[in-house]
Amino acid sequence: MAANYYDSTQAKYWTFTRPELLAHRTTLAKQHAALHTKYPLPDPRHINIYLQTQLTKLAKRMSLRQQALATAQIYLKRFYLHVEPRRTNPYLILATATYLACKMEETPQHIRLLLNEAARQWPELGAQDTGRIGECEFALISTLSSRLIVHHPYRALADLQGPLALGADEAALAHAVLNDSFVTDLALLYPPTVIAVAAVFLAVVLRPAHPAGLQAHSSSAAAAAAAAAAAGGPAMSAAAVQGAVAGGALAGFGFRQSPQRMGKLVDWLAESKVDMEAVVDATQEMVSLYECWESYNERACKEAISRFVRDAAK
Amino acid sequence: MSNPPSATAAMGPPSAAAARSAFAAQSAGPLGQTQAQGLKRAFEEAPDTPPLVKMNATPYAPQRHINDHYDIVGFISSGTYGRVYKAVNKRNNPNIQPAKHPSGRTIEAFAIKKFKPDKEGELQYTGISQSAIREMALCTELSHPALIHLVEIILESKCIFMVFEYAEHDLLQIIHHHSLLPRTPIPATCLRSTMHQLLSGLLYLHQNWVVHRDLKPANIMVTSAGSIKIGDLGLARLFYKPLHALFTGDKVVVTIWYRAPELLLGSRHYTPAIDLWAVGCIFAELLSLRPIFKGEEAKQDSKKTVPFQRNQMGKIGEVLGLPRKSEWPLLPAMPEYANLQSVAMHNPAVSRPLGLDKWYRNTIANNNYAAAPPDDAALDLLRRLLEYDPLKRLTAEEALKHPYFVGENGAGKPPSWNCFEGLETKYPARKVTTETHEIGGTGSLPGTKRSGLPDDGLLRPPVAKKMREG
Repeated sequence: MAANYYDSTQAKYWTFTRPELLAHRTTLAKQHAALHTKYPLPDPRHINIYLQTQLTKLAKRMSLRQQALATAQIYLKRFYLHVEPRRTNPYLILATATYLACKMEETPQHIRLLLNEAARQWPELGAQDTGRIGECEFALISTLSSRLIVHHPYRALADLQGPLALGADEAALAHAVLNDSFVTDLALLYPPTVIAVAAVFLAVVLRPAHPAGLQAHSSSAAAAAAAAAAAGGPAMSAAAVQGAVAGGALAGFGFRQSPQRMGKLVDWLAESKVDMEAVVDATQEMVSLYECWESYNERACKEAISRFVRDAAK
Repeated sequence: MSNPPSATAAMGPPSAAAARSAFAAQSAGPLGQTQAQGLKRAFEEAPDTPPLVKMNATPYAPQRHINDHYDIVGFISSGTYGRVYKAVNKRNNPNIQPAKHPSGRTIEAFAIKKFKPDKEGELQYTGISQSAIREMALCTELSHPALIHLVEIILESKCIFMVFEYAEHDLLQIIHHHSLLPRTPIPATCLRSTMHQLLSGLLYLHQNWVVHRDLKPANIMVTSAGSIKIGDLGLARLFYKPLHALFTGDKVVVTIWYRAPELLLGSRHYTPAIDLWAVGCIFAELLSLRPIFKGEEAKQDSKKTVPFQRNQMGKIGEVLGLPRKSEWPLLPAMPEYANLQSVAMHNPAVSRPLGLDKWYRNTIANNNYAAAPPDDAALDLLRRLLEYDPLKRLTAEEALKHPYFVGENGAGKPPSWNCFEGLETKYPARKVTTETHEIGGTGSLPGTKRSGLPDDGLLRPPVAKKMREG
């Protein structure tokens, strides 16, 4: 369990194949066809970007630890795999996931403080009563079947840093990519190591080749990633990623930049038992996320959510 | 699960409402009927529960109801967390599938731990306690033959019900049975098997980065088939790269008699070695049938500072002598190091300690074993578990490789997984009561005691209290 992802409830009960995820969601959508028609939502990935960004903002506001935030992000993903979002007040779920994750990661926050901060950030929460978070906590734990211990890729990334001789810039960028990965389904599909390797891959492959592609103006990737995160944006821009794709970086290790660097990574991967097919798939998922992020419209997501939240509150 | 009663007044005076309900339960109707009702009521939604708060069309509605699946047969014990009931599979309901253990066998009986809401008499959801969250998450994640098996968790009526497989005995009960006149020692084979199973379970916990922090005889269950099951993970937590020092989360851990010297000396960054000290204390208690270091806990003062446990340190010193820098190099770095000097002033006996060897020989001599007594390997294991320096203390892994278990050259017969193997002693079944006043009350009043044992409540130390910062 805690020592070993492969014996964990995460591996046994909360890791799926893509067809399984699709089947879950199709069933859920069918059960709530009327709600879907009544309250159309933007691209699900945009909704994910919106919700995860909101969660990050609350965490920043309360100076929560990264690990607690990451756990809350996973709770959110697992919860909405089983519950139709239109039947919930997503802001209440966000607040409750944060409350529970903080306790689980041994950095508890008082329920009253959390409610106050959440209500200030999201007027749509519409709750002054801590009992609603308490009740929602029951729903959340029950939906998650009390499987609350989560394995994150950050630890795996830290473990890779030494063997792969990652520079501070690369490590920071990989870290930022991991932050972004919570928007995708990767945490529901792959072990933490696979996601960490994919993040390192993106950081190493794309950064040296396309420094100009990074979003921020700074030449430091760490500063860029930090700036991007502060702006609520992704760690990488689609332009950078597409450039790399066009350059063949993802198509099969045809890198031209920093061969030494890549050589080391490729050697390590070849020796490791990491599922390369999964790493490639995870990398592609991140690439397509950054593409999708280009057309993200926060306002559209917020308004679409507000419509069903408002109607339900009536 | 069954903790000794809390003798502290930490819970404050009983509320008027609780007193009223206790009175009402005792005075109403024929006793038998009242008992049944009391038990039933404990598991039903309070009749005056307001309609569920609408969470924008997602009010919490439990999927499973405790009363659909289980018949409560009685009350086992209570503590600060809530209370524990004995239950069986629902009778006369053909639709209910009996619960199965992962090994395939059917589970016949259950111990249901009901957590009470944080605030007494509160009809609101108040947020689940940190302790309950830990226990729920860890018990769901962990699985080992020497760990109590969690069947399921049901969240209903603002209460948490953790359904465990029932264990007929616990070590406290077994120790007590042997200490009744005519006093008989725990047979050496039983002792060895018990310790081996206990350490196996502890090794599994530590390998998974879980430190238990409340090991004591009452928290170690024994099934009628002689399996040891570590229980009560309410203070347990993960210690892999903690975000804060462990001390920051819980100021006081481990019941006083089993508390390791580094904890008594205020260590901020303690390790799983604290569990091994507790195992050493339990080993000694299984040998002598009484706690080896039976100190008195110094209470917190009004400033909520954690007091130095001088009396407990003195009790350890009476047997082992006080710790010295020469044996424990990091000793002067302990926050309470300065206080250590004062122990001898209050308790001169620490200057002329009995010594563990002598303690052991006296104990073995007094025990009058009918069969072969434990040998000197047992003493050596005990000495290495009750090692002052946590860095030198045996780990669970090392302890399992000790000659006491594997023989002098590793050729010994491994201990049985049935600690009762070859024994004729019949231990009395756990006492399960249907006394209504125990059901109707709040379960945390001073004087409510763990049932099944005579009232040694004042002699047993209170459970380790969970105290949060601020």
